[in-house]
Amino acid sequence: MRLVAKDHWLGAALISPSILLFALLIVYPLGFSLWLSFTSVNTITQQGAYVGVANYRSLLADPEFLSALINNFVWTGGTLFFQMLFGVGMALILHERILFRPVARSLLLFPYLLPTVVVVLVWRWLLNDLYGAITYAASAWGGFNVDWLGQIPEAMITVVAIGTWKYFPFVFLAVSARLQTIPEVLYEAARLDGAGAWSRFWDVTFPQLRGVIAAVVLLRAIWDFKEFDLLYMMTGGGPANSTETLPLMVYKAAFGQLAMGRAAAAAIAMLAVMLVLMSLYFVGYGREQDEA
Amino acid sequence: MSVAASSALKRSGSRLVLNVVCWTAVLGTSFPLFWMISTSLKPDNELFLRPPTLLPLKPTLEHYVRLLSDTPFPSYFRNSLVVATATTLIVLLVATFGAYSLTRFRYPGRRLFARFTLFTYLLPSVVLVLPLYLTLAWFHLANSLLGLVITHVSFGLPFALWLLRSYMVTIPADLDAAARIDGASRLGSFIDVIVPQALPGLISTSLFIFIASWNEYLYALVLISRDDIKTLPIGMITMLTSSFDVEWSQLMAGSVMMTVPLIIAFTFLQRQMTQGLGVGVKG
Repeated sequence: MRLVAKDHWLGAALISPSILLFALLIVYPLGFSLWLSFTSVNTITQQGAYVGVANYRSLLADPEFLSALINNFVWTGGTLFFQMLFGVGMALILHERILFRPVARSLLLFPYLLPTVVVVLVWRWLLNDLYGAITYAASAWGGFNVDWLGQIPEAMITVVAIGTWKYFPFVFLAVSARLQTIPEVLYEAARLDGAGAWSRFWDVTFPQLRGVIAAVVLLRAIWDFKEFDLLYMMTGGGPANSTETLPLMVYKAAFGQLAMGRAAAAAIAMLAVMLVLMSLYFVGYGREQDEA
Repeated sequence: MSVAASSALKRSGSRLVLNVVCWTAVLGTSFPLFWMISTSLKPDNELFLRPPTLLPLKPTLEHYVRLLSDTPFPSYFRNSLVVATATTLIVLLVATFGAYSLTRFRYPGRRLFARFTLFTYLLPSVVLVLPLYLTLAWFHLANSLLGLVITHVSFGLPFALWLLRSYMVTIPADLDAAARIDGASRLGSFIDVIVPQALPGLISTSLFIFIASWNEYLYALVLISRDDIKTLPIGMITMLTSSFDVEWSQLMAGSVMMTVPLIIAFTFLQRQMTQGLGVGVKG
């Protein structure tokens, strides 16, 4: 598009509200967070002193922080693994001719569309210790009584399972969309070469899916790592902090212990971990955003 | 039996297995949804039957009626509607102009800014919630719907800019160039050419923003403590934790009602879903 010099002011005028809001709502808070992490500000009084790196030093020695970091990796790794397994699996199955395929597809998407609070309410009812349907089925058919959310490690296993249920449709959707774009000629060529079903999958389908799988893994890893709502509403981090991840620790430090400085330090530390994932995503997929 | 017939039989056998596996997984996945609706229609005495009945023996709408008349649910619903609508309008207005500028003008920092929108879209809100809370509290906006809308703009705007930019890039620049040769002004060609062309993108972007705001939990949890201005996500949790005797069928009725607007939105979004949800996922 050829530009006329006098248009420059219009382009700047149109983008300026966005830039202003970005500055106020993202850049300034990020800087503020970083500054807070070097202070001892109290959440209510908003008073505090500069304490240097004391917050970071005490975090590294804090067993709560270390366990939150480990829980964060266990939660992210666990739920991501099963999301990929079910998401890719169901996408491959539904790529075949299945009865009522459109209905099956829409039904599979539902968990992803539900608000997290609804997911939490439904699962807490299903797992209710007295009248939950799943609790009943487990005890009547399986003969075991499980305290789904009140025990270690049951609580972590339960939230990983619910996270899988809620988020695998994202993987399913992305992989399904990619599968539909694989040219049929590739399969015909492979068939002519005498390739069986298994070899058609490994030599044709899988190489075509590698890109989308890598992108989805990174994107979901980023989102799962920062998940707050599901974990907080499901367990509140309990029992005995066994499901407390970094976002929950940040929230509790800031609004439970009223220690903004400590919370900000934990948040910045968490962001540092996430930056690794984010830069991987940027290197691979951010570039094509520039081709505008 | 001929070789061809036996291999056809084998194929139809594996097709049957595949169908059974697939539909078992689909029905298993949908069970919680089915259970939500079924529970919301069960009269109280049926709720605690063991074994539980799959379908309500005597379906009733009493929980929906009581939810709307005896609980703060309508107020939560209204607050969510106000916040989500206000957020969507503000974000859409700002982001439409912003995305137009990003795709039709050339100036230093343009690409950097576009990249920054992607970065902020992935940013965890627990990092932003601390300073935003302190700042809003300073301005006495912490416990208000206006304050909540401001925080929702912080995640809605990057998302909208990113989506709208990708829609507007696909509109050929020749189109508005042609309009301008015909004598239209920049703004005139924007309104007459870009907006109608980008309309599907504008609609789906606003639906995505509305849904994100409708579902948002953390900012509402931190900012809002007055019951009369609570939104649905925190309000429903209040109903769960504050009652001495949890009324599950009422909570399930509320869950159904909270989900219905989303289902309506998503039926409009079906086509854009793969692009919108998988933004940046191109393989």
